[in-house]
Amino acid sequence: MKTVIYTCPYVPAEWIAAHGLHASRLLLDHAESDSALTRTEGVCPFVRSFIGEVMNNKRAAGVVVTTVCDQMRRAFDILIRKCDLPAFLMNVPNTWQNLESQKLYIDELERLSRFLTRLGGKSPSNNNLSEIMLEYETARASILAAREYLSAGQYAQAIAALGRDGPDKTLDSVTASEPAINGIRLAIIGGPLMKQDFALFELIEQSGGRIVLDATETGERGLCSPFDRRRLRDEPLMELADAYFGGIRDASRRPNSELYKWLQRELASRHVQGILFRRYLWCDMWHAELRRLKDFSDLPVLDIDTAGDNNMERQRTANRIRAFMEMLQ
Amino acid sequence: MSDIPKRITLEEWDLRYEQLAKAGTYQPDYGGPLSRHVEDGDQRLLKLRYDNSAAALRLWNFLLTEEYRLHEARAAGRKIVGTMKDLGTVPVMAYCFENIVAFYPDGAWWIPCVMELGAGLLQIADSLGIDESFCPVRAMLGAFVTGTHFPIPDLLVCSVGATCDDFSAIAQRLNGLGHSIFWWEIPHRRRPEPDETAVNLPGGFSAPKCQVEFVKSQLERVKTALEELAGEKLDERKLSAGIKKSNQVRRYLTELRQLAFTAERCPIPALEMLIAEMLAIHFCSDRQETINVLKELLDEVTSRVRAGKGILDADAARIFWVNPVADLQVMNLLEDSGGRICGTEYLFTHALDIILEDLPPLEALAQMALADPMAGSSIDRAGRICADIRRFGAEAVLISRIPGASHCALEGQVIGEIVREKFDIPILEIEVPPVTDSMRPTVQTRLQALVETVKARRQT
Repeated sequence: MKTVIYTCPYVPAEWIAAHGLHASRLLLDHAESDSALTRTEGVCPFVRSFIGEVMNNKRAAGVVVTTVCDQMRRAFDILIRKCDLPAFLMNVPNTWQNLESQKLYIDELERLSRFLTRLGGKSPSNNNLSEIMLEYETARASILAAREYLSAGQYAQAIAALGRDGPDKTLDSVTASEPAINGIRLAIIGGPLMKQDFALFELIEQSGGRIVLDATETGERGLCSPFDRRRLRDEPLMELADAYFGGIRDASRRPNSELYKWLQRELASRHVQGILFRRYLWCDMWHAELRRLKDFSDLPVLDIDTAGDNNMERQRTANRIRAFMEMLQ
Repeated sequence: MSDIPKRITLEEWDLRYEQLAKAGTYQPDYGGPLSRHVEDGDQRLLKLRYDNSAAALRLWNFLLTEEYRLHEARAAGRKIVGTMKDLGTVPVMAYCFENIVAFYPDGAWWIPCVMELGAGLLQIADSLGIDESFCPVRAMLGAFVTGTHFPIPDLLVCSVGATCDDFSAIAQRLNGLGHSIFWWEIPHRRRPEPDETAVNLPGGFSAPKCQVEFVKSQLERVKTALEELAGEKLDERKLSAGIKKSNQVRRYLTELRQLAFTAERCPIPALEMLIAEMLAIHFCSDRQETINVLKELLDEVTSRVRAGKGILDADAARIFWVNPVADLQVMNLLEDSGGRICGTEYLFTHALDIILEDLPPLEALAQMALADPMAGSSIDRAGRICADIRRFGAEAVLISRIPGASHCALEGQVIGEIVREKFDIPILEIEVPPVTDSMRPTVQTRLQALVETVKARRQT
């Protein structure tokens, strides 16, 4: 089965899978930073790694990039000039409160369908699509239900595995039975994590904490909202669009008030005691939210910025997290 | 009184002003000696070099008195609209209403330069979590907080979508501080697919018809918001008349650019040309006066070209400039280094292209908005730059990076590569912060090297 790679949570894996293709959401590696870029000053490390990963990827049949962030939009320009892999740039509107933006998102899904068909995919029937949506929905629900029984790292890995491998294998990996350890209840908020960042979860647990809310793009915040089962049967594409476009709260939304409403609810319901704010250097969208988040929440916030992955930075981050945990204890 | 075109200091302008005044040269009500603006804190003016024509004096005074015009408009009961990011679209519509004045709060990005950081706007942005890793347009936040550089608008309109992340994030921060914003979406402009109806946009780009329709729907929303603010309807007749007026500005600028960039001797400095081009985006809060100012400037440049007069040596290196500079003095620096501007792409070429007058007006505006160079790919942008390099005969390209700007990190590579593929000319990238004083020798050395390279290549 041909594989289509992507990273943006607004790309519905179900839509790709319903075309008979394997949807694989990349979990990026800092080590892939060597890429087609002639200079890297000012380039977000995540974008850098994305370009590197796509350039070096030998198994994919196509890549889907979105316009959610400006540097990703421009990374597409680099890719189509430097890379033979067929690439599709999907317009994901920043505004969401008017019907035209919602319709634009659906139109883009239909345009994506034509791209997928060109790659060898088959335009799905409603039945096909709803079956795939149900499979993903079941897998997502099982991961969400297992949250209390998994370590934060396992939970994040399970979400990542669903994106990378699809629903079949995910169910096998979510089989924890022991209640998770206790500790200071933390949230991690920000853009997407990379492979190496998953070590943070263990580090936090070693320091006496536990992530109870993974509000990163690669975590729970990047999951679409649950499907309406009846609508899923009657109008699956519309339901898919609503669950993704309307269900994922992101800093890039204009306005991004829904993100804060969601955070307010989740931080309170999970009795969060402190926030780790994870951001990449040069990621304006999330950086600009840091001070606002501090103003918004009464909780202590630790800013963990990263310019890439190296030993010195890992040490610095570890020390900062340990100090933060000591303060909270 | 010498009428030989030249670049002069502010001090020299005071003397020249007295001469012009004695000679009875017309001064508009906002006229006066340029040095008076230094008293307002515009310290950078002391370090700039200016064109010595009465037309340039009027241009500068017009630019530097915009804040007063906005306050006067408010005092007169007119509504003030802050249009953000689209750089040239919404003001065309806003100025169709008698009781609306529109301006770009984004323009505050030049305040740290003009006031040599004296206004403290960047420090305020810092305190709000918007530090130096963002584009200098973050000064806008400080201007909103202090409320001293422009009146707080009655309506804020901001385009998002295919824009730079810096501005979008800063505008969201502003929104988070309690300023209500009317957001409208500008989608990433893409090329039409084989089964889609294509529309040729002003400036030579193309887009699928569905994207034009989408932008039209967004502008319809903006129009409704403006109508509610103004308390009157904007019909097609009024909008068409507004487009015609805007096109007058654009026609003058087209002529001005053609003359300035192609004349054998450079007839007008780069700095005045930059300011003239900027007038197109929101008419410096007075559309009719913009037309008058540009007409006088065009007349001056036309007469200089006819007389074979210029402000620089005839052998000045012909440079195409990409992106606006945060420090105006760098435009002087290019000329001090032996270069001249022969082509510009300051991120608002869509505000310079003629808006089609034979289309339904909102559709014409939508086409213009979609032709925004920022809305499309860097590849498209490079294509337009190449066309203009050919048109104006530029011998080198200078890409001026804006510190922290999300687009600058990646676009320079694409533009540079495409230009190299088409032309055998040197390309240089520099980064220009709001005040370059501490790095002036570095910037100047790089500019000199570019100029020397161009001149050396003429001999081979």
